[in-house]
Amino acid sequence: MKTQKFFQPLALYFCLALLAMAFSLFVSGEVALAKVRVITSLPNFAAITKEIGGDKVDVESLAKGYQDPHFVDGKPSYVLKLNRADLLIYNGLELEIGWLPPLITGSRNSKITSTNSPGNLNASTLISNILEVPTARVDRSMGDIHPGGNPHYWLDPRNGIAIANGIAERLKEIDPKNASYYDERLGDFVGRLNAKMKEWDEKLAPYKGTQIVTYHKGWVYFSNWAGFEEVGYVEPKPGIPPSPSYVADLIRKIQGINVKLVIAESFYPQKTPALIAEKAGASFLTLPASVGGRDGINTYFDLFDVIVGDITSKLASTKEAIRSSNLAGG
Amino acid sequence: MSAKRFTMMFLSVFLTFAPILYKDAWCDERDDIKKQMQELKLQMESMQKKLGELEEKNRILEEETKKQKEEKEIEKTITEAAPPPKQEGSLQRIIQSLNPDISVIGIFAAAYFSEDDPIIHAEIDPENTGINLQEIEVGFQAVIDPYFRADTFFVLRRDEFEIEEAYFTSLLGLPLNLQIRGGLRRAKFGRINLQHREVQDFVTLALPAAAFLGEHLNPIGAEFNFLLPLPWFSELSASLNSPDGLETPTFARDEDANNLARLLYIAHLSNFFELSDALSLSLGGSFATGSNGTERGNRSNLYGVDLFAKYRPLKNNPYQEVWLQSEFMYRQAETEEGDLDDWGAYGQFIYRFAKRWNTGIRFDYVDTNDPISPLEGEAVLSSIAKSEGEGEEETELGLFGKELRYAAMLTFNPSEFSRIRLQYEFDDPDFSDSFHAVFLQFEYSIGAHGAHPF
Repeated sequence: MKTQKFFQPLALYFCLALLAMAFSLFVSGEVALAKVRVITSLPNFAAITKEIGGDKVDVESLAKGYQDPHFVDGKPSYVLKLNRADLLIYNGLELEIGWLPPLITGSRNSKITSTNSPGNLNASTLISNILEVPTARVDRSMGDIHPGGNPHYWLDPRNGIAIANGIAERLKEIDPKNASYYDERLGDFVGRLNAKMKEWDEKLAPYKGTQIVTYHKGWVYFSNWAGFEEVGYVEPKPGIPPSPSYVADLIRKIQGINVKLVIAESFYPQKTPALIAEKAGASFLTLPASVGGRDGINTYFDLFDVIVGDITSKLASTKEAIRSSNLAGG
Repeated sequence: MSAKRFTMMFLSVFLTFAPILYKDAWCDERDDIKKQMQELKLQMESMQKKLGELEEKNRILEEETKKQKEEKEIEKTITEAAPPPKQEGSLQRIIQSLNPDISVIGIFAAAYFSEDDPIIHAEIDPENTGINLQEIEVGFQAVIDPYFRADTFFVLRRDEFEIEEAYFTSLLGLPLNLQIRGGLRRAKFGRINLQHREVQDFVTLALPAAAFLGEHLNPIGAEFNFLLPLPWFSELSASLNSPDGLETPTFARDEDANNLARLLYIAHLSNFFELSDALSLSLGGSFATGSNGTERGNRSNLYGVDLFAKYRPLKNNPYQEVWLQSEFMYRQAETEEGDLDDWGAYGQFIYRFAKRWNTGIRFDYVDTNDPISPLEGEAVLSSIAKSEGEGEEETELGLFGKELRYAAMLTFNPSEFSRIRLQYEFDDPDFSDSFHAVFLQFEYSIGAHGAHPF
């Protein structure tokens, strides 16, 4: 009698489970969709995938562009998205190590769980010149260091071409019947990006060699392309917030040299870098680091239009200010 | 004469008709010229046409070459962007070893109790005034092959070794979105039972978890997790477990072991709602039933409800967030003395006010319909966790009455890999004097430790 009483809820539960299974069998029969479903960890890859895939793909990014890509909450709802994905594109170089792996494990999707399957694209493998690859053994006294190199490579538009090429290759592999469509769109994208890069290069040309300070080591690829020289970082070590004494040291250090610009992504604290800029006689600039980082940045082109535009107009205005103050002084 | 006349006639006739003839002849000539002109015109036209065609052809050719040139340029940029074969440096060779990720987490706590013999609720809580080693957790994690991954965690204390978890997880796509976890693992029962100590928000374990699950409910078994085909994340888990060797007060091995009905069955339904970018809500229900080891055929049933809500405004204050975690547990247990009805609940509210700082409060409470007498309780209490595991001794399931506890904590994370936590606790059991406790906990993590679930 006792066991019977205790087994009633158990029986009820198993009935419920069976019902749920039957239901899922019924629904999963009609999953087949024509479009390739792409999930990207970061919005930059989603933007480029949209350019290549056009209306043949459904693409969504897990992280938002205004979010710090190191610290994304791995919400269970993302598991659902990954469960249905044909292709997962992620940054790699351990940028997403704190949140993406458990989501992939939970996805139950063999298309993406193996690192070398067509549905799993680690975009860092497409980049030829990864910067800041450690040449000696690393340890965590160096801060939140990435053993594979600096992961912020999407901020060099030249890498955008490599990423686009890699994405097109994967799309062709997964969806061969639309291969010519992807090729055509890749050519178009690369053509437009080349043209845009010429435009940006021209805009940045007068400012080559500008000395800048950034909050995080997140702009090294951009500086490498734009010809800027990074002379300091607000973070003493990657991922470690600055102490007051470090800030004082940094101000002292950059007062001596001609630093024009202090840059911080919008998700970092703004007060400290603004103070450093003020004390060092430089301009402070908040910049979006990803597509979606600011309202109106919807494409990879928009991102650089805003970054290059903001930087050049800021530098132009400081130049103007210096000239006028010199005139007034003289 | 006649010849003359003939000539004259001929001449007159000729002269009469000559203009006609001449006209004819002249007209013919004009027609010819016209014709020729027309031909010439036609020829010219065809020539022009041909010329146009040629020009068109030339233009197309030029365009094509231009296009090809552009394409070549694009191809060039693409190939230039393609990665060159990577050099196999010694560093890379270190990374490329197939060893599992190894991590060690150490948790130490300095404690002060206002009472000489405080109640210790869970095994890994600090025990004495002084400095306590709570646990050293050693983790080995790796993918086994394309089909499975394995996670293993050992808990070490000065004189103890325990396998906290050692299980495999299926990675392949199974029908019905099934994922299998098998082995010795923290069972999916509520929320806190899935959280290792280093992920928990307080120094001590919440009372209901300590009273009903022990330090953790980690039986050996096979667990089947189905992702339900619903618009939100909904996972149904069912597991069949062997209660042998469990260090929990609720379930234990039955003497009548060769009986499937005496095993431990656990079910959990977890739902997750992403209400907005900033607000998430997780709701779950759990049920576990199995023998409790007090007497042959005696069973325990454990019910649980869990709630987790998190608000993290990403746009304006990316490092500020609040979260609320609460669980309710209800237990029915058959014992020789009679049936027990116990329940407990906890709620905790954490506010992260800066990137590295958070603070929070917790209340936890347990109650029973049939308390063990206070004096007896106190004597049994300190030994309960240890005696449970040995199995041969008679187990004591009952609570000691009502117990209410409040805690407040402040945490500083110098980095993601270290943590300093200060906690104050006020414990109010109704069978003895209330007491205060203060803890200062230090925690570190070295090596590659897998990311924790949300």
